Amino acid sequence: MDTASETAQVRVEGVWKVFGRKPGEAREMAEAGATREEIQTATGSVVAVRDVTFHVDAGETFVVMGLSGSGKSTLIRCVSHLVAPTEGRVELCGTELTRADHATLRNLRRQKMAMVFQHFGLFPHRKVVDNVAYGLEVQGMDRQDRQDRARELLDTVGLEGWGDHYPQQLSGGMQQRVGLARALAVDPEVLFFDEPFSALDPLIRRDMQDELIDLQMKLQRTLVFITHDFAEALKLADRIAIMNDGAFVQVGTPVEILTSPADDYVRAFTQDAPVAKVLQACSLMRPLDGTDIDPGWPQVSSTTPLETALPHLLGSTSPVVVCDEDSTPVGLLHGDDVAGVISENRP
Amino acid sequence: MTVVEEARRTANGLRTASDSRLARFILAIGTIVVLILVFRLSTNFGVFPESWDVGLADPIDRARRWLISNQTSHWLYTVFLNPITDAIDWGIRRLESILKWFPWYSYPSITGVGLWWTRGRVAGVLGLASVSLIGIIDLWEESFATLALMGVSVLISMIIGIPLGIAAWRSDAVAKVVRPTLDAMQTMPGFVYLIPFVLLFGVGRVPALISTVIFALAPVVRLTEVGLRTVPQVTVEASEMFGATERQTLRLVRLPQARPAIFAGMNQTTMLAMSMVVIAAFIGAGGLGQVVLRAMQSIEVGKASEAGIAIVIMAIILDRFSTGIATADPGHDALALRWLAVAVTVVAVVGGLLGHNEFPESLNWQFAPYVDDATDWARDNLYDIGGSGIGTGPFSDFVTLRFVTPLRELLSSDIPWPAMIGIGVVLGLWARGIRLAVGIGAALFAIGFLGMWALSMDTLAQTIVAVAITLIIGVPVGIMTSHNDLLRTALKPVLDFFQTIPSFVLLVPVITLFHVGRIPGIIASVIYTLPAAVHYTDLGLRRVPAEVHEAAESFGATRSQRLRRVELPLAAPELMVAVNQVIMLILAMVVIAGLVGGGGLGLEAVRGLRRSDAVGRGFEAGIAIVLLASILDRLTRAIADRLRPPAAV
Repeated sequence: MDTASETAQVRVEGVWKVFGRKPGEAREMAEAGATREEIQTATGSVVAVRDVTFHVDAGETFVVMGLSGSGKSTLIRCVSHLVAPTEGRVELCGTELTRADHATLRNLRRQKMAMVFQHFGLFPHRKVVDNVAYGLEVQGMDRQDRQDRARELLDTVGLEGWGDHYPQQLSGGMQQRVGLARALAVDPEVLFFDEPFSALDPLIRRDMQDELIDLQMKLQRTLVFITHDFAEALKLADRIAIMNDGAFVQVGTPVEILTSPADDYVRAFTQDAPVAKVLQACSLMRPLDGTDIDPGWPQVSSTTPLETALPHLLGSTSPVVVCDEDSTPVGLLHGDDVAGVISENRP
Repeated sequence: MTVVEEARRTANGLRTASDSRLARFILAIGTIVVLILVFRLSTNFGVFPESWDVGLADPIDRARRWLISNQTSHWLYTVFLNPITDAIDWGIRRLESILKWFPWYSYPSITGVGLWWTRGRVAGVLGLASVSLIGIIDLWEESFATLALMGVSVLISMIIGIPLGIAAWRSDAVAKVVRPTLDAMQTMPGFVYLIPFVLLFGVGRVPALISTVIFALAPVVRLTEVGLRTVPQVTVEASEMFGATERQTLRLVRLPQARPAIFAGMNQTTMLAMSMVVIAAFIGAGGLGQVVLRAMQSIEVGKASEAGIAIVIMAIILDRFSTGIATADPGHDALALRWLAVAVTVVAVVGGLLGHNEFPESLNWQFAPYVDDATDWARDNLYDIGGSGIGTGPFSDFVTLRFVTPLRELLSSDIPWPAMIGIGVVLGLWARGIRLAVGIGAALFAIGFLGMWALSMDTLAQTIVAVAITLIIGVPVGIMTSHNDLLRTALKPVLDFFQTIPSFVLLVPVITLFHVGRIPGIIASVIYTLPAAVHYTDLGLRRVPAEVHEAAESFGATRSQRLRRVELPLAAPELMVAVNQVIMLILAMVVIAGLVGGGGLGLEAVRGLRRSDAVGRGFEAGIAIVLLASILDRLTRAIADRLRPPAAV
């Protein structure tokens, strides 16, 4: 599907997960193209993940988008090895998890990875600060040090002063901040997010997404993010994988997915996506190629959403100049291209 | 019984598969009638032949004599049993002396502060007053003996029970052994545990404690397992994701989250242990139980009431405390009360150092004489009011002569013993199948071979009468409370109270009114069991979904139609569970009532505990109780299953 890059921090190759008694038979049927229902009726086994391969580079945000039952939750558990894959290889920070013994896996979890859960997974019997300090406690850090570090992280996620409450005394959004702080406390290289915001109200969800983007700008970790919300995927992702019936349907940048959906299944999502909001000027611009720039042409920055550039394009037939942060022109945005994408989007 | 019968019939009428069921039922009844007639016609059959008694009593008596003479020399004792006995005995004495070291006033105040903290001011004041009352009626010393025994029993139950619960949770193989064992242990009347331990350890606190632990162990094991099973998976995953070892996850995540359940288990265990206080006194537990027992034997109702009330106070306070701990909110905090607790602790330690440990005699005041006066008055005036033939005495005679005695005659001699066994087999066959039928048949034969046939039928007759009375009163009340929240709220504290107090204590007031005999036992069992009957009926009817009510109403059903045609049939399996619970509780109680003139198996078992030459017979009676309990338990459960609507596919 894509070539494994040198800097990949997470590598997943040919991973299968079959629940049930007859994994071999189920797998053969799956390879012959049978659907999940057919396999389940025939073998009683459920193929949750079928032959998934991908990699995630250091500092990249990789989002797996799929509807409920698509296998995305099982996939993230296979990658973090909370569930052992039936077949395939998972490599994390250079260590092959699928072959690691308990101690190696445990050490890797203590030092390299962390996870944020859909329903927060907070410990109701521990104060917020002790929740955040949990990973450090497990590592054997002494009480004072881990509490100091935990309070530091609570400040980072905007929960200063809430450390001595119990999680259930906090609102949903605040609870997930605790979940995030708890994951960040162990300073992991790879962070797994299992639909972290889907249990939150829409407005709080948007705030949390914005904050995650800000945090990621500062921290530059490797994120594997699961969601059923296509808009959330577009907003957060460097690359998106669309998952259906246990397999990846398409992997690509948000622009690639929006501009050239692989099939009708993907198109069903892109149709409703707010393209003009999501796509930025830089993603549709054509290279300058020595074109003379008319000083009268309107200018926009490269991160401007198409929506904002649209009035300029509608007002005249001339292109819009796209500039980088130093206001140096880097490309031209043509009305035809924009119209093309939007019409592709609304057949 | 009639209501359940009705429910079953209507339930059958509702279902499509009812024809074959009805046919089986009629066949079963028919077979029973034929069996009775056949054996009635031949005069050879009546009571189970005495010559068939296998005479288990003699070898047991011999074993007992051997054990007594070898207690100091044999390795089984010197290496194994005596050290256990000594350690437990040391523990109880030690705890008792520690408890007694503190000044007397620390107990009322600790109770007061503790209950105020967990339950509010009124509970605090009541707690303070009721603990003081124990001292005032001069039962302070005895209370400490009981409290120490309870403390060590509960402690040992926790030490054994929590790891066992963890093991059962971790391994299905362990769970498969532990669960049915616990079920069986809880089914048996606590009484029967005394017999083997007396055989092994003789009379004293240690066998009393071991019996108590065995009887009370089940809830803590069960609730530890349940608590661990219900820990949310996501928190376990979260712990694993941080690289916690399995041990760390258990200690830091699973057990703390299971703690409320474990405490609930501890609460139930404490209550079961409290219900053994008087029973354990039979084999030398001492303390309050012994006071009750002695007073009952010499019909000193006043004294028995005082000790009974002390036990009830202790039970209720332990219950409130342990539920308070179990349901405590981790965020709960009250600074003022915390300081008060510190102050009480300081006072307790200082007072202890000063030696204020005796409850001051100047505060003593006995209410026993008043109770005795009232008893005399009741005896003279209520037993047969004005010679009119109305009163508790004639009532007692009426129930005895019209119901208990005829039923006992019917079961033990009028229905020939082979027919009784046949009835058991047919019922087993109808309710579940061949395995249950064979089991019941074998158990009934065993009762006969033990030479316990007549006594068992006596106990069975008392049980049946008590169950019938309980259901006749309890089921309608349950139906009423299920339709009326106000009534339910009003009745709840009353029912709670009767379930919290140890069963034996109930005998005290009943004896006041009805003298000794079979009737006080039956009435005490009914009072003891009514709350369970009301509760389960209410629960069963409340489980009927609201939609079903509405559907019935939309067809224009009257209230009684709705009840008969819809609610009772749907609740039938729950009601049968109620019947099961009622039967088991009553059987346990009827056995206890043997001591106050109820006769039957209970009396035989008690004799075995009291007189060393009757241990063998007592043991046989114990086995017969176990067999009878098992038969009734399995049979009623099988019938409950039979009544369940087919599960969705």
